[in-house]
Amino acid sequence: MTEPVRLARQSRVADCQDLLEITPLLVHRDDDLLEIVRRSAVQPATRTIGVVDEDGRVIGIIRVLRLTESIVARVAPEAVMAGIRDLAEVGRFGHAVEDRIAGDIMEPPATISPEATISEAFREMHRHRVTGMYVVDSEGRPSGYVDLLELAIKLVDALEEERAEEEWEAERAEAERADSERAEAERAGAERAGTAGAQPQRAEEAEGTPDAAADDATAEGR
Amino acid sequence: MEVLLAGVVFLATYALIVTDRIDKTILALLGGLAMILLGVIDQHEAFQAIDFNVIFLLAGMMILAGILRRTGFFQWIAILSSKIAGGEPFRLLIVLSIVAAVLSAFLDNVTTVVLIAPVTLYIAAALHISPIPFLISEILASNIGGTATLIGDPPNILIGSASGLDFAAFLVNMGPPAVLVFLAFLLTLRVFFGRQLEVHPDIRAEVLALDEREVLEEPRLLRISLVVIGLTIGGFLIHGVLGFEPATIALFGAAVLMLLARIEPAEVLREVEWPTLFFFVGLFMLVEGIVHVGLVAAAAEALIQVTGGEQTVTTIGLLWLSGIASAIVDNIPYTATMIPVVREFAAGGLPIEPLWWSLALGACLGGNATIIGASANVVVANLASRAGHPIGFRDYLPYGVVVVVESLLIASAYLWLRYLA
Repeated sequence: MTEPVRLARQSRVADCQDLLEITPLLVHRDDDLLEIVRRSAVQPATRTIGVVDEDGRVIGIIRVLRLTESIVARVAPEAVMAGIRDLAEVGRFGHAVEDRIAGDIMEPPATISPEATISEAFREMHRHRVTGMYVVDSEGRPSGYVDLLELAIKLVDALEEERAEEEWEAERAEAERADSERAEAERAGAERAGTAGAQPQRAEEAEGTPDAAADDATAEGR
Repeated sequence: MEVLLAGVVFLATYALIVTDRIDKTILALLGGLAMILLGVIDQHEAFQAIDFNVIFLLAGMMILAGILRRTGFFQWIAILSSKIAGGEPFRLLIVLSIVAAVLSAFLDNVTTVVLIAPVTLYIAAALHISPIPFLISEILASNIGGTATLIGDPPNILIGSASGLDFAAFLVNMGPPAVLVFLAFLLTLRVFFGRQLEVHPDIRAEVLALDEREVLEEPRLLRISLVVIGLTIGGFLIHGVLGFEPATIALFGAAVLMLLARIEPAEVLREVEWPTLFFFVGLFMLVEGIVHVGLVAAAAEALIQVTGGEQTVTTIGLLWLSGIASAIVDNIPYTATMIPVVREFAAGGLPIEPLWWSLALGACLGGNATIIGASANVVVANLASRAGHPIGFRDYLPYGVVVVVESLLIASAYLWLRYLA
């Protein structure tokens, strides 16, 4: 029963991107924000927009929320101004009123290779605080898009039902086995010091796995 | 021994505040408490030294401004004034400076500059010009405006409470020089920014398209807030006659507004700047320490030696000393320290009232000299850099120094003509 979770965490990004079927939204640095927001509106599932250069390589990303802020600040500045209470909000508004093209609001690219695992994709998205990432080849050209929320939903479905008891039991059994192995190794350790060290290490790795899986799923889901 | 301990604690606290590496509220509290723990003053004396007129007046005004800022009033008045200016950049600069000065005379400077900043940034972006001239002008205007009234700037609040001079006295004595300094400042703005602010007539229209009614979020709350704040300021004008401290009136206004606004008190009180209030608490105890051991009296004695005890020299000297000191150190601890010094001057036979005005003018106006001279300056620098238009120490300095020198010259002439000639 633990199979779907393990499969999802360790499966390649390339396989998952086919599963999700989200169309990438790619724009150029000089594209006008109004034009971009129109295109974004017909593709609501793509929450991160990719900015590409003439050769089609990803040079930056745009969050849809940031794009929306800029558009609202331009067409209805009063609506944003009225809600401003503190310094950070003034700062964001100051940027938003000046943005005109993709290059003004793009951030450094957060991309992932099709060979990477889903687990790695989650970690990267969390680190860059983005909700979706472009899958790029070795030259930086996008081949697809993976989305945090869509992935998380699939993972959570699997996790909720199947994670709990069986996995813990399996891990505990694994840990006990490792413990007894370690005890045995220690007993034999006086004579054969060289082989004893490897066993406890493997036990630690086994203990680490379920925690990391749960952390990934909950942290990314927030 | 006590004298030495008090002096060391005081100077160490000041030095650490200037280096800005540890939060000043924590430093002031630790410094004040060190005076108690080292036995320089006892707890009773320390707590007695905390001037609740100052704390409560600040708290009351923070509550009033905190509720008003929810209504969109600051943005409303900034947009309305901009439309009156008609989209011409230099006129906009003048109008926004006037708005900043007038609001700062009655409300907290920081709240004023933060809440008119969005309108400023929008206007600059719409006109395709840099917002920096506007932001710098608003800082300068806000500090000049705050000089005019007892509640305009923390040094005035401190002096008002210590001297017993009432709101009306401040308005009559500080209002005229503030207006004169402000007019000179407006002329200076032409020299500073007149040429930078030229835009094509076509793009002026975007500013005029702003609709000020859109920013008014809660009309009912706005009406109530303005009435209560208006009555509170009216109360300040006659507090001397009524026999109440301004703090009593401000707290009463705050309590009434909280009642009528129907907002959770906890939510309103969260917007009170507790760090500032506790900074004052620590500072009062710290200063009491050096007053108690006679250090302040000795310093006053030394200053009198320098000026020869002559009234004109002492008064004008105090103005310039205060102006220069406030450019370098926070004008709040400076004023708190100088208040007992001024009392010593008076004990030595000098007329005290001109000295109070001299201290107030110097401390308030001097805050304009550097980007760290007053809290409004620091806050605007912070928001400007967040908005992608950083104002560096050196970028600001020439404007600050010119305005402060001209302000102090005007203040010197005013003091001399009105009180000394």
